[in-house]
Amino acid sequence: MNDFTELLDGLRAAVAARSAPSPGLRQRLAGLDDPATVRRAGRILAELPPSGPEPRPIRVAVLATCTIGPFEHLLRATLVATGTQPTLLLGDYGTFDLSLAAGEIGGSPDVVTCLLDERYFLPREWSAVDPDGLAAHVAARFADLRGLILACLERTPAAFVLHTVPIPAELRDSVISWRARATVGRAWHRLNADLLGLAEEDSRITVVDLAGELADVAVACRDDRLHRYADLPYTDGALLVLARQVARVVAARSGLSRKVLALDLDNTLWGGVLGETGEAGLQLGGLYPGNCYQALQRVVRRLREQGVILVLASKNDAGPVDEALANHPEMLLRPQDFAVRAVNWSAKAENLRHAAETLNLAASAFVFMDDSPFERGHVAAELPGVAVVAADGDPAYLVRSLLRSGWFDVPELTDTDLKRPALYRSRALRTGFSTGFASSEDYLRALRTQVISHPVTAFETGRVAQLAARTNQFNLTGVRFDEGVTTAMSTDPDHLVASFTVSDRFGHEGIVGAAWIERRDRIWRVLNLVLSCRVFGRGIEFAIADWIVGRAREAGATALVGRYVPTNRNSVAAGFWEKAGFTPSDEDGTYTVVPATAPTCLPTWITDPETK
Amino acid sequence: MTEMDDTASVVLNTLSEVLNKSTGELRARPVLATHGWDSLASLEVLSRLESGLTVTLDLRAYHAAHTVTALIDLVAAAATSNAAAGRRG
Repeated sequence: MNDFTELLDGLRAAVAARSAPSPGLRQRLAGLDDPATVRRAGRILAELPPSGPEPRPIRVAVLATCTIGPFEHLLRATLVATGTQPTLLLGDYGTFDLSLAAGEIGGSPDVVTCLLDERYFLPREWSAVDPDGLAAHVAARFADLRGLILACLERTPAAFVLHTVPIPAELRDSVISWRARATVGRAWHRLNADLLGLAEEDSRITVVDLAGELADVAVACRDDRLHRYADLPYTDGALLVLARQVARVVAARSGLSRKVLALDLDNTLWGGVLGETGEAGLQLGGLYPGNCYQALQRVVRRLREQGVILVLASKNDAGPVDEALANHPEMLLRPQDFAVRAVNWSAKAENLRHAAETLNLAASAFVFMDDSPFERGHVAAELPGVAVVAADGDPAYLVRSLLRSGWFDVPELTDTDLKRPALYRSRALRTGFSTGFASSEDYLRALRTQVISHPVTAFETGRVAQLAARTNQFNLTGVRFDEGVTTAMSTDPDHLVASFTVSDRFGHEGIVGAAWIERRDRIWRVLNLVLSCRVFGRGIEFAIADWIVGRAREAGATALVGRYVPTNRNSVAAGFWEKAGFTPSDEDGTYTVVPATAPTCLPTWITDPETK
Repeated sequence: MTEMDDTASVVLNTLSEVLNKSTGELRARPVLATHGWDSLASLEVLSRLESGLTVTLDLRAYHAAHTVTALIDLVAAAATSNAAAGRRG
């Protein structure tokens, strides 16, 4: 039985058992390059029934200027592979403009994907001796599309994904003068630049550079037979490239981005085995293959700069590793770049589990890169949520192997993203500081924790929406208010959105919590409250509850109602409202307190510098 | 098993999966139009046969094949022609 058959049988078995494919199956699906097999997988997965809140349900509409055809199955398979539970809503053929103009996209999608082809932008007839006229028409059609998309965004809360369009050979080659051909090419590149520019106009628009992606992979873009016969402008191979990009965008918008990169050292971050060659014998920098390892380090450093937390997972003696990291002249990653350094002879799965505990992150936040198939296999078996990247084979491919799946993609970098590596390094240091105190309360007092609470500002809505998308554990109702809704609530007198920032003796944690509150008829209702797992166990949630009670009291509210809706990830928050002094009410899952008489629940070790 | 049998098996299995009909049903009622053979299903079968058997089919001849048997014959002929071209090459 070949790998494909085994994978497809595994997907059929998951469908028959009415359960989502396992992380292992999903990762194998993500690694498939044969579009025909991915299409088959998508067809099988179309029969998968909804399975509750995990994996993350997502509704994706596809509107197309051409036939959607195989894109449906390819998109479904790639969305499942990235860890979502997709429902696809397919626009009818020939209704692209109409759907956007009416702003009525059925099925309340979370994301709308637009599948574009050249015929949308080109006139039926055009003159090869008037390339400027052609360019003007293309620009006018782009303006039409832009107007439709921006108007539609005002009527739907959905995010949009568009893509650039590869220049059609017929357009380029039916112009015989090189000068005019350059004019036509420039007009087409301007169209693609304008499409990419849409992403800067609204944070809910993402534009995938399909033309650029196709230039880097060995697949035919078009099959003229399918185009002429069925208005299918792209091959299955090209559509798979697009589907993967769209799935990456959806995963990033759904908060499924990975946060941690755990790296092996020998034959991964450097060539050779340190214990055998010594520091001076390592392959790093200079000519091939040392330049491959240095290129990987450069890319890893770039990821760290954008908020990816680095963990070392190496079977080595710690002393020589520390010396090599600190002193090797070609080393780009230094000891302080790693939040956790698990350099010892324990099993790597155990080390990664420990690193996850130290950082207070789930295994599903980790990507693990190692050259040893044994180590990768062991980690995959022990921690199935960890995404595994192979670093064996020719080191020239190391960078491509790490980056090709877009594990760390986010819609937009926030201030917290930029600070995250330092924050988590502080956290790891804090864990070390916690030994030597008589009680955990002594320790917490010594941390000198401050919680700064205030209504969210326009600069914070992005981070707050990101918290809503990414927080699974301390997420009291599971309702994920996106940036658009959060912004709207923050300026609405009937609502209050608050952000909560924490700092302590080790530094600023940034915004770690948020609350969305409705306030009508002197009754305040907490629609959701989320708290980053980074600050669990420090009583921050009670400081937040205390602040909300105080604001409700000041506003003269007669009741403050909290809610807890259990999901399969938020059991850590069960009982929170009662511990904060709220009483269960008749309505299922709700808890009430009278602000005027509520006692404080602010932990004694926390201060609010604004009320001090 | 002959090459022709192999090709027949691939064609039947592909049709079976795309049209959601058993190979027995397809053999018993070989007229493709009776099995939901619309343009998208036919193009999915085309794409899978071309990539799976490394052949290129003429779309006109492909759409002129109205039965399972005719489709098997068309694909087998393309595979033979492809193999001959490979030997010449």
